[in-house]
Amino acid sequence: MTSTLERTVAPPAVRRRPAARRPYRWTARAFVFPAVALCVLLLYVPFVWTTFLSFTQYDGFGSPELVGLDKYAEMFADPAFVNSLLNTLFWVLGTLVLPVGGGLLVAVLVYGLSGSFWYRLPFLVPYAISGVAVGVIWTLVLQTHGALDQVFNLFGVDDPPRWLLDSPLNTLTMIVAAAWQGVGVNALLFTVGLQSIPKEPLEAARLDGAAGWKLFRTMTWPMLTPLTTVVVGLAIVGSLKQFDIIYAMTQGGPGRSSETLALTMYKETFINSDYGLGGAIAVFITVITVIASVIYIRRQLGAAKEM
Amino acid sequence: MRRSRTSLLALATTASLALTLGACSSGGSDDSAAGTAADPVDLTFYMDKAGWMDSFDAENKVSTKEGMQLDVVQTPGSTADAFDSFVKQSFRTDERPDLFTWSTGPKLQALVDQGMVAETTDIWARAEKEGLVPDGLIDNYTYNGKQYCVPLNVAYWVMYYNKHVFEDAGIKGAPTSWDDMMADADTVKDKGVVPFHQMNVFFEFVWFQALLASTDPDAYAGLGTGETKFTDPVVVDVAQQWLDMMHDGYFLDPGINTDPQTLLANGDEAMSYFGSFLTGQLNQIGAKSGTDYGVFPFPKIGPSVDKDQMILETGPLCVGEGAEHEDQALRYSEWWLGDDAQQTWADTRGDVSFNPHVKSGDAEMQALADRTAKGDFQVQQRYQEMVPWPVYTKSREVFGEFVTDAPDDPMDGLKQIQAEADKYWAEQG
Repeated sequence: MTSTLERTVAPPAVRRRPAARRPYRWTARAFVFPAVALCVLLLYVPFVWTTFLSFTQYDGFGSPELVGLDKYAEMFADPAFVNSLLNTLFWVLGTLVLPVGGGLLVAVLVYGLSGSFWYRLPFLVPYAISGVAVGVIWTLVLQTHGALDQVFNLFGVDDPPRWLLDSPLNTLTMIVAAAWQGVGVNALLFTVGLQSIPKEPLEAARLDGAAGWKLFRTMTWPMLTPLTTVVVGLAIVGSLKQFDIIYAMTQGGPGRSSETLALTMYKETFINSDYGLGGAIAVFITVITVIASVIYIRRQLGAAKEM
Repeated sequence: MRRSRTSLLALATTASLALTLGACSSGGSDDSAAGTAADPVDLTFYMDKAGWMDSFDAENKVSTKEGMQLDVVQTPGSTADAFDSFVKQSFRTDERPDLFTWSTGPKLQALVDQGMVAETTDIWARAEKEGLVPDGLIDNYTYNGKQYCVPLNVAYWVMYYNKHVFEDAGIKGAPTSWDDMMADADTVKDKGVVPFHQMNVFFEFVWFQALLASTDPDAYAGLGTGETKFTDPVVVDVAQQWLDMMHDGYFLDPGINTDPQTLLANGDEAMSYFGSFLTGQLNQIGAKSGTDYGVFPFPKIGPSVDKDQMILETGPLCVGEGAEHEDQALRYSEWWLGDDAQQTWADTRGDVSFNPHVKSGDAEMQALADRTAKGDFQVQQRYQEMVPWPVYTKSREVFGEFVTDAPDDPMDGLKQIQAEADKYWAEQG
């Protein structure tokens, strides 16, 4: 039935753009060209080169030697890679719970209060600090006999946990350090989302008796979906390539216990000079990042359309 | 209006392209072949030792009289890994450096194999004839029977000790034997001071190095050639001894990340086994050699060992093969070995020089350097430069876990290192 209808409906006439607008098209292309050229040069070409390297044995000298899928096989067989993958999953889950969940909590609790800016400010300040600086600060806090241990000692705990030495505690500890930095900006983004929600539906819901958690769950949260999609998407991508804080705090150690995929890629490439294996890990990170992002965004957009 | 906008855009695009092409084609230089004191040749020098800039500036004041000076290029990143990549990349372009710092051992071997560094055999022959370098140093620079690069510096791996801690514990003078050293360690431990420094990043391997070299020098050297296995009884025993010392509380807690010089100078630990570059770091925080701290050689352990073992670390100054000023850079390398350059180095760094004619202001360290030159010690390579690179990186991982967790049995970790060694030596045929 549908196909019959489609056949009977004439296709819309293609309207040619007036010739006078063509110079404008060229101008537009010229404006876009530098950005496209930069993307191709700085993103696509290196990615193609990295992908090529992942099929080679290469130590940075001479010419790469093609070895097929050997580097991928080596990657999956390496216990250090498997450990990195697990740590990276910890980071993804931890980032969703702490910086994103915490950001949402701060934004919702503070929204509408008088002087809410001043409540959000302390959470936002750490975002202005670089990841490496955050790592150095937290190392001072968490190292043996550091500030946190001294607090424990004050309360009579003489043998506190080894925050940065024992796995997986060291990864969890670093996720908390990253959350300290990330909560503020997520709170800010969620605040923008809350401000963009139209007042009328919320008023109507209140008149119908909704309040508190029920109001949030049934009205506010669904209407925050577009913003949540962006925040969670950014958080997933950011956590999959987490590097700076870990490098500053443990360098992936002790041993290789706190490495993430990004750190393993760096170590294999630049310390072990195995560009092939490093390339394979880089391609793996890219593929799972793209897959995770596409699946997540499609699901979210699908859910938004259904609404 | 539209036309003027289009023209403006065309101009901007053309300018952008011109800038890009200009950047791609720049870098050539028409420096004269030989410099003069008034117009010295600038030799591009890639290095990653930001803390040594004052010394290189001082060297330039001297070398300009010879018509050459260093044009120091520091790498954008601060880590050794970033520097390595930077140098490797430079050899894939026309921007290869005239001079650069690197590492001896497998990493220099890789450059030699690729024909990236200029040969310095003639320079070494003249330097040895004039007595500018100590015996044995040449071994670090010999690959396939020829020499490449010259020593930028040397570091002697010795035991630093806090003199105030020793005095407070009633210990008179530095120990001269293994038993004395361990007795002193027990004494300071009883006073509540940690006897020895140790860290679980960067220098995880140094106690393994010291204990094995001092117990069985041949077995230690054999790790660099594959003749010794990490699972040989002597190696296992030494690793077990090291772990037992950890269990017995002789070492600093691995979770403490404070700088080693600060820990030693503050008396948080009594002794620290380190390269002589620690002297410069101690001086920078105001500690005085001979008053606040002293040095002694790591004592031999094995009953059949003739001499104390002196681990000698040396960093090379290399000339890029085919670099723009290759000949002048080789001339600079020869000048660098001489008395003028080395005295300037010793004076500005407060460190000892490899050149036996040059005297450092640090009397205790100079005495050890003099004894090394006289042959009082058996000189050995540092573990990092001695073993193949994959073995070293696996060792860092395993020894890092040893230092952190002090397992009861070292065998599992040693087997992991040996597996990496087996793989490497099998590939070498």
